[in-house]
Amino acid sequence: MIIGVTGTRLRRFEYGGWIAVALSGAAMVVGVLIAFGEAMSPGNYTNVQITWFHVAGAPGTFPNGFTLVMGTLVDPISSLMLVVVTVVGFVVMLYSIGYMHHDKGLPRYYAELSLFLAAMNGLVISNNLIEFFLFWELVGLCSYFLIGFYYEKPSAASAAKEAFLVTRIGDIMFLLGIFLYFSHYATAGPNGGWAANGFVFVHGTTPFLAPSIRGSSTLITVAGIMILGGAAGKSAQFPLHVWLPDAMEGPTTVSALIHAATMVAAGVYLLAVASLFLGFTSFDSLVIVAIGGFTAFFAATMAVVHPDIKRVIAYSTISQLGYMVLAIGAGFAMVGLYHLFTHAFFKALLFLAAGSVIHALGTQDLFKMGGLKKPMKLTAAAFAIGGLALAGIPPFAGFWSKDDVLSSVYSQLGAHPAYWPFFVMAFAAVFLTAYYIFRAWFLAFSGDRIRDPTLPAAHEGPWVMQVPLVILSAFAVGAGLFVFLPGFQGLLLGGAGVAGIPPAYGTADVFLSAVSVLLAAGGIGLAALLWGNGRVFSLADSSVAQPLRRLLLHRYYFKVGYDWIGAKGVYTVSRAADFFDRYVIDGTVHGLERMFGAMSDRLRRMQSGLVSDYAAYIVAGLLGLFAILLVVAPFLIARFGGS
Amino acid sequence: MIDTSFVGPFLPEIVLLAATLLVFLLDVLGVRRLEIAGAIGVVGVGVAFFLVAADLGFSPIAGFATIPSGQINVGGPTGLYAFTSLGLVFQLIFLTAAFLVGLASLSRPTGERGASIFYGLLTLATLGMLLVAIAADLIFLLLAIELTSISTYLLVAYTRKDGRSLEAAMKFYIVGALSTTLSFFGASLLFGAYGTTNLRAIAGMGSAGVPTLVLLGYGFLIAGLAFKVTLVPFHAWAVDVYDGAPTDVSAFLAGGTKKIGLFAFFLVFLGPILAVKASGASTLPFGTGPFNVGPVLQIALAAAAVLTMTVGNVLALLQKEMKRMLAYSSISQAGYMLIGVTVGTAPAIAGATLQIFAHVLMKGGAFLVVAAVAGVGVGPLITDWRGLGTRRPLLGVAFGLMLLSLAGVPLTIGFVSKFVLFSSAVEAQGWFVWLAVAGLLNSALSVFYYARVLKVMFFDVADPMPTTVPLAAAASSARLAFGGIGVGRAAAIALVAVVIVAVGIYPQLLLGPIQSAAQHFVNVGP
Repeated sequence: MIIGVTGTRLRRFEYGGWIAVALSGAAMVVGVLIAFGEAMSPGNYTNVQITWFHVAGAPGTFPNGFTLVMGTLVDPISSLMLVVVTVVGFVVMLYSIGYMHHDKGLPRYYAELSLFLAAMNGLVISNNLIEFFLFWELVGLCSYFLIGFYYEKPSAASAAKEAFLVTRIGDIMFLLGIFLYFSHYATAGPNGGWAANGFVFVHGTTPFLAPSIRGSSTLITVAGIMILGGAAGKSAQFPLHVWLPDAMEGPTTVSALIHAATMVAAGVYLLAVASLFLGFTSFDSLVIVAIGGFTAFFAATMAVVHPDIKRVIAYSTISQLGYMVLAIGAGFAMVGLYHLFTHAFFKALLFLAAGSVIHALGTQDLFKMGGLKKPMKLTAAAFAIGGLALAGIPPFAGFWSKDDVLSSVYSQLGAHPAYWPFFVMAFAAVFLTAYYIFRAWFLAFSGDRIRDPTLPAAHEGPWVMQVPLVILSAFAVGAGLFVFLPGFQGLLLGGAGVAGIPPAYGTADVFLSAVSVLLAAGGIGLAALLWGNGRVFSLADSSVAQPLRRLLLHRYYFKVGYDWIGAKGVYTVSRAADFFDRYVIDGTVHGLERMFGAMSDRLRRMQSGLVSDYAAYIVAGLLGLFAILLVVAPFLIARFGGS
Repeated sequence: MIDTSFVGPFLPEIVLLAATLLVFLLDVLGVRRLEIAGAIGVVGVGVAFFLVAADLGFSPIAGFATIPSGQINVGGPTGLYAFTSLGLVFQLIFLTAAFLVGLASLSRPTGERGASIFYGLLTLATLGMLLVAIAADLIFLLLAIELTSISTYLLVAYTRKDGRSLEAAMKFYIVGALSTTLSFFGASLLFGAYGTTNLRAIAGMGSAGVPTLVLLGYGFLIAGLAFKVTLVPFHAWAVDVYDGAPTDVSAFLAGGTKKIGLFAFFLVFLGPILAVKASGASTLPFGTGPFNVGPVLQIALAAAAVLTMTVGNVLALLQKEMKRMLAYSSISQAGYMLIGVTVGTAPAIAGATLQIFAHVLMKGGAFLVVAAVAGVGVGPLITDWRGLGTRRPLLGVAFGLMLLSLAGVPLTIGFVSKFVLFSSAVEAQGWFVWLAVAGLLNSALSVFYYARVLKVMFFDVADPMPTTVPLAAAASSARLAFGGIGVGRAAAIALVAVVIVAVGIYPQLLLGPIQSAAQHFVNVGP
């Protein structure tokens, strides 16, 4: 059934976007129905597969060779993901009709967007790692096309390239991870291991988790790190996060899709699948927790200072993905996916609301906006709802899942004291998150006028842009409450039915919740204080900053503390983070580029075209061969034994 | 009464010889038209292909088999030649390369000289390749290689007018002569050590020779054959020659004759490598007791494989000309194929064989496309291909498929072959896993330069259409059909594209026969 859906989408290359909308709508209906069916009968796994090809074996380790299969798997986790992908996909498609109205190259846009969604759906319902990887690459390729959609723009082209290159690093690690896992699980596990069953993971029945099979060998630890690397590339986790903010060069609709439902979700989904069906060693878990917690905090600090509305949301995505990774690392894969589920809706909402503003004004600079809440009431409300959900204010969606993330990690602190610093970071990020998202809201929507008078008068978009905002707002309010529906619980619990995986909810700690909500409220309050009502808070501009500081001093009497923590501290960390981002990571990437360039150049110069020079290489080659044959190889064999 | 029973098994070779002689005879008689020579050449190769396929036992045509079934896959030392399933598979691979090049060359310009020489030499070189595939004796093998080599030296220079081709032919000849010398020297050392030149006999006596003599002999043989296979650092000639030769000939060299060197690697080195797996005797050359050369060879070949794929890829990254980029990519692919010889298990041999067949299609096809676009006025630089994908969509898509397959993208034959090859290395466990890792990393690296070409073809804005080929004239003759590409060439390119995808989607089509052939090869020895 799903293949049918995917197939029909692949087939469409027609002109109008309405066909794409209709088909993605159909896909959404199918996706939701599947999820509904799954929710009604949890623990029901539908696995259909055909043999793709069989590789003959050699006597010894792999007497039966191994098989590659192509198959689809519908189970609680994949149906949960299907809902996310198809619903957000449909809404974004609908929105595109209005948003992309004036652009050229629309057939290409809709074809690529449809392929993007189809690839993501394919990834979600893959039943084996190889097929998963194929769709994974396809998702990456589509994102490359879509980020570079405005390919005449050099910055868009280079952002697309950057996204492609950075995620390729992750892809290579993922592939190596598959290889290492394969060499470990080849003959271990069900049906004689992967060698016989074609890398299939069937949710809920897998025994790979059993520690006796998993072991704790170095190989498996390294394999886990490699999988983490793949996920980090796709999901923009530190230190492979650099591509995501720049990926804002694509159309806003594409950003919404990448950030909510497709590209970055693939990485988290991989990590969840790997943790449920392959298992991580305790060292791997610590590394994952560390990466997730640190990224959550690190990205949030960067969002605090950025003037570009889309980039603020982009950093927030990285930060939120950090939470998901954190939860998965702590052993709560379902909690991570739950957060992915709610995040998809409110993040898509935020992007589409931001897109609506950009559509109206033609700028992304927050400091040029202002006072938009009057002409764009719906957008302002939608952005606020998205912001509240992101900040984790009850009863909005983000509260439930973020609270689950924090409390589940909290519950592990006793057993794993090493998680403490990353838990603290994630907790601190709650405050920052609330602050930066409402800073953006106040900058854009509060006040009574647009700051840059050259901008056109703002207006709401056409209905095709408004309807998606309403739909997503509903989800952003309600998605968290889904957890109280028995069926949805079934989905989460069904995925959690695998032995040893704690359930996705119910571990909430009231004290913890209260503190995190207070933190979030504090962040919003601070944002309102600094930026509310059209104010612009600037450290450099004394006329604005000084009265504000005095106000702070008289009201709260912690000017020094605030100044240091709120301004200096955060700004310094942000700057340091930004510096690190720009110089250390970019520098490494460019350095590698240069190194290969220089190596290539050196080698190319050796290719002189003179036969006499070639003779010299031949002599060198012969000497090298004899050295290997007579000295090196015997030594190696004597040292390590024969093959 | 003359005994004619020995003729039957050699019917494919005899057909090719007859085609060669016929073309040359007609040339002497003054019949030099491209159509006639081309038809003889292509039909000859086609008939040979049919006969070999029948010998392999493909069901609908198995009745035409000319080799009595009892003579295939016979174990034990034989005479100069032996028929093995794997050898026959390789004959098919060689004939595929010759057929594609012959078909495409039907579309060469009419006025060009030397058409009959071209087809005569093509069939003669193919004859040599077929003999390589049935060789069972070191000297027979080297002589068969020589037959092919001498034909190809001439083939590079067959136009006789182009200075670049002449220089390339000269370089090719000098380097080739050196390579032959090294190979024969190595063979003589082995003869000194073992007292025989029969490959199976040598493999059976792996532990009997004088270690130093044996290792020196194999060292010279590796070096000599490495020229043919373009292993680093014996690769330098290949780029100049592929670049300088007429592009159809480059297709034949990269897609066809290079592969005889690889099959020679199979024949010469798999013997001792397989023998050691069976016996498990001491592997130390300077210790006491019996000695096995196999593991030492494996280490040397592994080093050559990794070096070759890495250097080839890194150099391909910076090339600005299409033909040179393809030449370096061809070098790096040789490194992948060598993994199969190094690992030396049946799946590895099957993987390498499939990779070799895939490479015939991908690289041969790619050079044919290069010749096609050169024929419609596109320059040699990669940037000259700007916008080709939109200007000539079919050609662009076909070339794109070949590049994707070279990069190992799924649903192409290149993915299947690399998958089988690398997974066989993982299967073998031990340090062979690292060969797979090296291969994977190199594949990832290679994606960059293939993707760059795709980007240039499909995303960069096209230059104004070159007007060297008037389209009105193009439609008028079959040779210039398909916008100046020609029927023969278009058919060859289309065939390659279809097979690449067909095998990519349904690999079992080829994988089954190749795997059983590889298993026979392991069972009976080279």
